[in-house]
Amino acid sequence: MDGRYGADEVVIRRLEDQAGLMRSSEREKVEAAMDRFEKRFPQLFFAVCTSRAEGRSDVRQFGFWLLNRAAFKDVPLDRPNECGILLTIDPDAKSAGITWGYALDAFLTAEDSFLFLSRAHAYWVEGRYSEGVIRGLKQLSRVLAKRCKQAKSDPERFERRVAPPSAARQVAERIRAGHRKVVKEEVTP
Amino acid sequence: MRALLVWLSVVNLAISAELALSLPGWSEESRQVVEGEEWLPGAGLLTGDKEAAPVDSTEVQPPTTAEMTEQVAANEIPEKFLDDYFAKRPEGFLVDPQELLSPSARRDREAFLNYHSADSPIDFHVYVFGAEQAIPGGVREEEISERLFSQGKPSLILFYYLGAPERAEIFLSPSLSDAVSDAERRRILQSSTLAAMERSDSIAQLEAFCVQTSIRIYWIEKAAGLVEGGSAVSVAKTLPTSKDEGSARIEAVRKMFDAFWFEWGAIISVSLSGIVISLTFWWTSRRRASYRFPEFDVAPRLGGSHAAGVGAVIGFGSTTQSPSAQHSGVPDYF
Repeated sequence: MDGRYGADEVVIRRLEDQAGLMRSSEREKVEAAMDRFEKRFPQLFFAVCTSRAEGRSDVRQFGFWLLNRAAFKDVPLDRPNECGILLTIDPDAKSAGITWGYALDAFLTAEDSFLFLSRAHAYWVEGRYSEGVIRGLKQLSRVLAKRCKQAKSDPERFERRVAPPSAARQVAERIRAGHRKVVKEEVTP
Repeated sequence: MRALLVWLSVVNLAISAELALSLPGWSEESRQVVEGEEWLPGAGLLTGDKEAAPVDSTEVQPPTTAEMTEQVAANEIPEKFLDDYFAKRPEGFLVDPQELLSPSARRDREAFLNYHSADSPIDFHVYVFGAEQAIPGGVREEEISERLFSQGKPSLILFYYLGAPERAEIFLSPSLSDAVSDAERRRILQSSTLAAMERSDSIAQLEAFCVQTSIRIYWIEKAAGLVEGGSAVSVAKTLPTSKDEGSARIEAVRKMFDAFWFEWGAIISVSLSGIVISLTFWWTSRRRASYRFPEFDVAPRLGGSHAAGVGAVIGFGSTTQSPSAQHSGVPDYF
């Protein structure tokens, strides 16, 4: 990825509308929604980047690279990129994707991100990008609030999702990797 | 011997029958009339007797106008009591100059009416007459209510005929008569009369009549908001003036609602306020709630120093396809 996009740190804002999809008033509304989100979730932040890939790659790869390399200048230092959720929109490819930091690995799933994008889909089809972002952000807030409550009542359940594999499991995985061709045992009558 | 006795008995019976059953015969004069066809036998049975029936001397003759006038005049309230009844506005609420009520009954009624007056912005005056008595023609009831009760508190005036509640009449002082419909006044009279007719004793009838009328007055007060205080006369002017039956029904429903609201309004208001405050508090607290996630150690993946959580990618190029149809999964290289 670094070879494709560069290995240097990229300084951007939370709302980086490089593609110019939103008017000034719309950007203000989106930033207000981001503020509300950050107030509700003091550890997290939400960022949006609209960019024209121009044949370089798809939004999934770009979002993954950007969240690892970006330095958000309007995000407090106590909210590192591990706590970020990045929405990337490519208006040329008509596609959008979600990427999130390690701190959210236990709490967010691909289904949650699809739900977010589904809520915004109807707006984006009509070119109403800011409204789609705000609507999706509301949905994401609802899901995260629910997950937070569940995590407080049963933290082990979420910790297991991101726990490193145990030594025995690692051994078993190595054995499986070295013996992919499993010989079936003959069953005697 | 036996044969001789039988012969004698038969002869004796024959002679007796001849003497006892001798048939009537025509007289010579009648025979001549019949033969001359001047008289038809049995004609009296067929044509009836045309002679007039004798006048029954015991039948009652209807009274003449003069007699009726005398009878009414005899039932009229004695003239010596007219001034006590109708000369001025009564000082008490029970008007019984003829002392038709016993002292104890009068004391009870006066106590009741005084209590009503103390508790109600509408006074309740009761005029007591005899069951058969009639108000003289020179006295006009409507004129009395206007002349005697146009000043002071609004009043309901009851003309009650002791022992004959069905003859009772209700009048309203001018400040109320403009506001209370005739239908409402009739309803008061009907319900009070029915309540009185359930009793057999004349004093108990009067008591039931007064109680029911007082209740109906209370309903009027509640409907008009007079219970909470304020100027009785001014509020009475706000009472409905509907005349037709439809308006009267609407008015009745409104009064029922007012009565219900008066009884349960405070509880309902407090309950609703509590619910609204609770919902507002819940909504506000929910909006202001902050969520902090527990922190777990996550091993870096895919060479990403900060993030490796790659979610869904969705396309929005087609307006005809659903989001699911434009959803692309995570590629293999992730």
